[in-house]
Parts: sequence; structure tokens; C-alpha cells
Amino acid sequence: MDDEDELPILTAVSSSARQLYLLLRCINFSEKAHVQINEEGLKFSVDEASVMEGSAFLDKSLFTTYTFRAPQPPQHSQHSNSDDEDEHLSATPTFQISLPSLLETLQIFGLTDPNNNRPPWARDNPTSTAFSNNVLGMNNMCRISYDSPGSPLSIILTEATIRTTCNLSTYEPAFAEEIPFDRQSLAFKTIMRGSWLFDAISELASTTPERLTLVARMSHGKPYFALSSSGSLGSARVEFNNNPRGPGRAPPPPPTNANANPDDPLTQPNLLETFQLSDPDTTLRSTYKFALIQKAARAMSVSTKVSIRADTQGVLSLQFMIEVESGNVSFVDFRFVPLVEDDEEGGEGMDVDETMGGRSEDEGGTDDDDEDM
Amino acid sequence: MVVLNFTLTPEAASKVHDLLLCLGKFSDAVAIEARSSRFTFTALNSSKSAYAALTLDAHTFFTKYECIPSRGGPDGRFTCSISTKALLSVFKGRLYDPLGRDGSIDRCEVSVSDKPSQTECRFIIKMICNQGVIKTYKLTYEAVEVMHALFDRNVAKNRWSMHSSAVKEYVEYFGTKTEMLDIFSGEGDDAKAVFKSYTEKISNGKEVLKHPLVTAVAVNTSDFEEFSVQPGLHIIISVKDFKAIAVHADTLKTSLKAFYSQPTRPLQFSYGCDGLACEFTLMTSGDYTAPSSQAPTPAPAVQILSRENSRPESRTRSFEMPPPAEPASASTSFRSARRRNPGSRQPAASKPAAPDPDSLFVRQDEDERWEPLEYNQDEEETLGWDASAEHDAAVFPTFRDSGSLARTETEGSGGGGGDGGGSTEVVAPTQRVSQIKGLW
Repeated sequence: MDDEDELPILTAVSSSARQLYLLLRCINFSEKAHVQINEEGLKFSVDEASVMEGSAFLDKSLFTTYTFRAPQPPQHSQHSNSDDEDEHLSATPTFQISLPSLLETLQIFGLTDPNNNRPPWARDNPTSTAFSNNVLGMNNMCRISYDSPGSPLSIILTEATIRTTCNLSTYEPAFAEEIPFDRQSLAFKTIMRGSWLFDAISELASTTPERLTLVARMSHGKPYFALSSSGSLGSARVEFNNNPRGPGRAPPPPPTNANANPDDPLTQPNLLETFQLSDPDTTLRSTYKFALIQKAARAMSVSTKVSIRADTQGVLSLQFMIEVESGNVSFVDFRFVPLVEDDEEGGEGMDVDETMGGRSEDEGGTDDDDEDM
Repeated sequence: MVVLNFTLTPEAASKVHDLLLCLGKFSDAVAIEARSSRFTFTALNSSKSAYAALTLDAHTFFTKYECIPSRGGPDGRFTCSISTKALLSVFKGRLYDPLGRDGSIDRCEVSVSDKPSQTECRFIIKMICNQGVIKTYKLTYEAVEVMHALFDRNVAKNRWSMHSSAVKEYVEYFGTKTEMLDIFSGEGDDAKAVFKSYTEKISNGKEVLKHPLVTAVAVNTSDFEEFSVQPGLHIIISVKDFKAIAVHADTLKTSLKAFYSQPTRPLQFSYGCDGLACEFTLMTSGDYTAPSSQAPTPAPAVQILSRENSRPESRTRSFEMPPPAEPASASTSFRSARRRNPGSRQPAASKPAAPDPDSLFVRQDEDERWEPLEYNQDEEETLGWDASAEHDAAVFPTFRDSGSLARTETEGSGGGGGDGGGSTEVVAPTQRVSQIKGLW
């Protein structure tokens, strides 16, 4: 293969390997990740037993330089034909890579530059000048390049005078269709702060549950969203209500509109910023494997907002909005296939919820389930 | 059907977290005893050598408290046992956060669901967070009888008290794996108290030299808020227990008080504030046959004698022997009868009470009753566990400290709630023999 006149498919330079690391760490639950490269950025996706998948999209805005050249078809004819056709059709080079190795590589210099934590006069490097790497933001530079299909993904990390080149083997893609999620027929959608979801999941984890049940309904004209689980020590449920019911305290401030800044504690926005049910008269209830949802916990903990959506088939989509250092936002997506409930087990679950929640709405919920069955 | 509802402020919930953390060091499960006027967490460790009772006052600790036991009227109680781990996962740290960040709560509502119409009984804890998040936990509980350790502070002539922050500082010096703590009060004018942590078994078969670290912290007695201990007295407790107590006492920023008499008799640590009263009764060991230079109470010779009586095995056995014909059930009923009505003279009183096989501490009072010589010393010798686990639970040997001895426990003896020591002024683990003796 004569690469001399061929330009690499991808050259991307990021000023901070840390950003990339923080995003990719969210989906670090599987050995191999699929990487798709296109004009807009790099998409890393992992899946587990085809019932859960997670993907992180590294937008090209995360990189100071991002150059993508679609591979030339003639070049691919030298490789196997099937590959060639796939890539030719999609024009997006796809390969597999070991995600743990990639994460290891990105933190090869440590995640934080120790010098950044100190004031300038206390830094180790006394020869710091206006043109030193620290000032120019050149430390921790990360250059990612992918020359041609079949070549390794090479990552060059530069810190001060040290330059490390890592070549990660790429593997043939072994895909695997995406979990179908029908955006057009959503049964339920809500947006809330990611930390609330993280908090709820970690609370529920204390019961060491098998399954996680999600309940959403309109209760007295107000949104009601709850996650519940039960284990050997008992059951736990976390409810999210838009209007704090606080008889013991001063009346809560009136809920502001959904566009209020969620980070400002004074405005106290609605807990559920958006709340849509396809059928507001019924109760949505679906069950997922808790251990899988828990794998998204890292993303929950670092995200600012999460969009929770379920389509009419019960597939759950969690989309996390993660703010990276530059002030940009990036998105990490998860999809989960629901557990199909047996009649008996479903009945039990409902009993639990009926005892916990308001009874009037639960009757509606039971009706709803009857219709579904 | 029991009614138990109470509400906690975030500060109180965080105190519950602290105390659960402490109790978790003693036992995997905490027992809960709710009465109309107070709520007690107790824990007894697996070797029954340490007992903790942390009592929350109904009026000062809770914002709202309602407890109507199903039986026993105003003296009744509701008791159950819950896994410490489960409770700790509910009462997490950071429940109280002045800044109102995530994880902090607005209030905590606890209730017990024990309806006959429902198949499941649960201990329900609702954490109402700011901004409309409500976390509800339904924990399974086990209906158990709660045991209490009795401790007579009148016998415990040795006492000291010190601010918990100082004690915690000393505890930090102790080696992490050391087992025993020797508390020694020095002699002479410039007396010091020495806390020495050490490990008894240094070699263990093939393993050699396991943690031979000995740490001794000498504290000037003037650094104590109160220090009145027989000079030269060594008393040995477990480092782990002491650490747990010191760390918890430090969360309350209060003084830690210790009461003890002599080795092999229980020692009690006590502290509390703001409606939370903590008492830890610990087994002690040490050389009880080698007395200190001088015994402060009655006469040295007698003191030695009485100590010999407290030799755990041989002595009590010898008292078990004389009435061989007495069936076990009879002795049990006798014992329970005696407990039930401690002031009344029993016709069976000429027979010795069978020493409680489960008793952690030797009941010297019973022993001495058979020593004419010792008869006068009786009053300093009452103390022991309520080891009545195998009894029918209705009998609950707490004694009023007020001197009214005619307490009888006849009603409600069939059920769990029937124990009566529940009126407000009962000090559960304390009993004065002198009061009992007055009626004999």
C-alpha cells in the first residue's frame, strides 16, 4: 500500500485529553467499542448482550483541529470486498477498538496537570514564560489519527517535552444492529437534572435489587415520576414531584418556567423540566434490569441534564448532556430493552406500587395495564 | 396493631446516621424499642460482651412523635430488629446540609405499617427532600424482644469523665489492629491515667508476631473533668468498642463519662445531649484477684472475698449443685417470678436461684446471699444482664430507681408489649439492691 500520497482518514487534535477521557469513561462497561468516524465527529458505541447500548459522541468542536477525509474507494479494493462495500456505502469508516486500553492511554499523563492546581509562582517548572506550554494551553495535547482502514488508531500525547505515541489495534466491526428506538412514537419523555437520577439510582442500589420499575403518570394534573425497586432488605422508591409537598416548611416558591437555569438554586425550577406522556390518562410502567441501568451511573453523575424517554415498546433511552471544560456540551446516549413482565410478577409489582402511591391514580394504572395485556 | 409515627429534622436524621454507624460496629442488627415517651436503639454484640442503648427522647429529639403500642397500655412498647446495613443505607451521611445541596433532606417521616389487613409489615421511612423528591424505603423488620443490660452505678465507685474530643484524640493513637485496652489509674501525687492498647495473642500457630504494637497514652488526671478512680486499678476492655464509642461521642461534642467498679464487672460509658442519651455497658477483664493497694470500700479482706465470688465458672457452678432435684422449669418459673415481683418475699427464697446460664456477668448478689459473712455487703453487688432471652419475654427486669418497689407485672405477661418497665421515670439498666433488700 503506498500511503505516501494518501492523506490520513482522520487527524484530530485536542488540547485536553481529559475531556475525551471524561466522556468515554461514561460508556466504559464493555471491552470493545465500535468507533464510527464521519464529518461531524467520532462516535464510540458499546453494547451489552444486545439489551443495552451506550454511545458517546465526540463532536468535532471538542477538537482544535478535526480533519476527516472519506476513504477513497479504490484503496479499499485491496481489502476484503465485504468491508469495502460496507464502508463505501456508508462512507463512514467503522472499526472496533479496546475501550479500556484507549482510556488507559488517555490518562497516561494523569488526568490533572499538577501545575494547574498551584499558583504560577509555586509551580515546579520555574522557567515558565509567556510562551511555555502551560500558558499556551499546549500541555496535555492529544492528537488522534487514523490513516487508512486496517491501520491502528494512533494517539500522540504531548506534555511539556514528553511525547508519547500509542498505537491501538483496530478490529473488524462486529456489529450488531442498534436497539431500535422509535422517536416518532414516544410514550413518555422527561428532562431532569442528571444528578437527581444518579442520586435515585444510588439510593435504590442499596436494596440490591434485580429490577428497576419506572412509573410515570399525571397525578392531579401534576407530573409524577417514580423509580422503584425491591430487594431482600426491603423496597425503596424515589419519587419526583414537580411541586414540593412541604407542609412542614415555608411554601415553596412558585415554579418557574421550564427554561429557567437549572443550576441556579434560588429559582428552584421544576424538578421535571419537560414532562410528556403520550396518554396522560394512563400510568406508564415499565421494568428494566437494574444492573444495566446502573452501568450508566457514571454518566448520570457527571451530566448536567438527562432526557429520559420511553417509546411505545418500552425501550428506554437515556440521553445525558455533559458539559465539558470548554463550555460545550456533549451527549452520551444509552438505550435499554425492557424486561417483559409475567402476569404474576407484574401483578406483584403493581401491588407494591399501589400501597406506596395514591390509590385513586393506581386504579387508572391497573386499567391501563389490563388494556395493554 | 401498633401505631408508631415520628418525624425527624435533618439534623436529627443525621444524628441517627451517626448513632447507627456506631451501633453497626457492635452488631449487624439493631433492635428498636419504641415507647410512648422515648425511642431506643439497642445493640448487643455477638459475644454478648458489649451492649449499647441509645435513647431518643420523644419530645426533644423528634419534631413529632406518636407511639401507641398494641398492648400494654401506656407502659407498652413496640420492639423490632432491623439490619443495620439496611438502616444505614437509608440514613446516609450528608442528610443534613445547611446549604441544601443534593442529598440533603427537608424532613424524615418514619412509620410502621403493621396492619392486619396487609400481608406485609414494613418499617417505612420517607425522606422528603427539597425540590419535591421523595424517597420511600420499606424495610423488613423482625419482631424480637429487646434485652437490656442492667448496670448499677451505685456500685461503680470508679468514675471519670472527659470531653469526647480529647478521648477521640487519644484513640487515634491506638494501633488499628490492637484488641485490648487497659485503663490504668496511676498512683502517687502526680497521678496519670494510662490508656494502653495492646494485642494479647502475638503469635498464632504458624503465624508469628501479629501486630505486636502496644500504645500507651498517659493522661494527667487533671485533664479529666472528673477523675475518681481507685489508684492502681487496671481495667481492660476492647479497643474496638472504645473507639466506636469515642468516635460517636465526639460527633455530639459532649463529655464521655465512665463508671466501673472492678475488673470482670461491667463498665458503663455514658454521654448524651439534646434528647439523645447513650449508654454502653461493656464487659471488662483484668486481674481481679490481685487487688490494688487499698480498696476504698468497706474492708480490704471482704473486698477480696467478694471478688472471689465473682469468679465466673467455678463459683456459680458450685451453687448450681445443691438443689439437684429442682427441675429446670421450676427454677425458671421461680426466676421469672422473682423478676416479676422483686420486692415480694418468695417462699422459695431459701433455694438459690439458678444462675442464669446466659448471664454475661456473674450475679454476685445471688452468690452472696448464701454467704452469711457477706450478707452486709449485698448492697454493692447487683448487676447483671437481663439474659432472659429464653423466657417469655414479657418479663422485663427493669427496676425503678425511685424506690417504689411494688411494681408488679401481672397484666400483659403473655405478649411482647406487656413488659411494664415503661413508665417514664424508669431507668432501664440500673437497679439498686439496697432497695430490694429493704423488703427482704
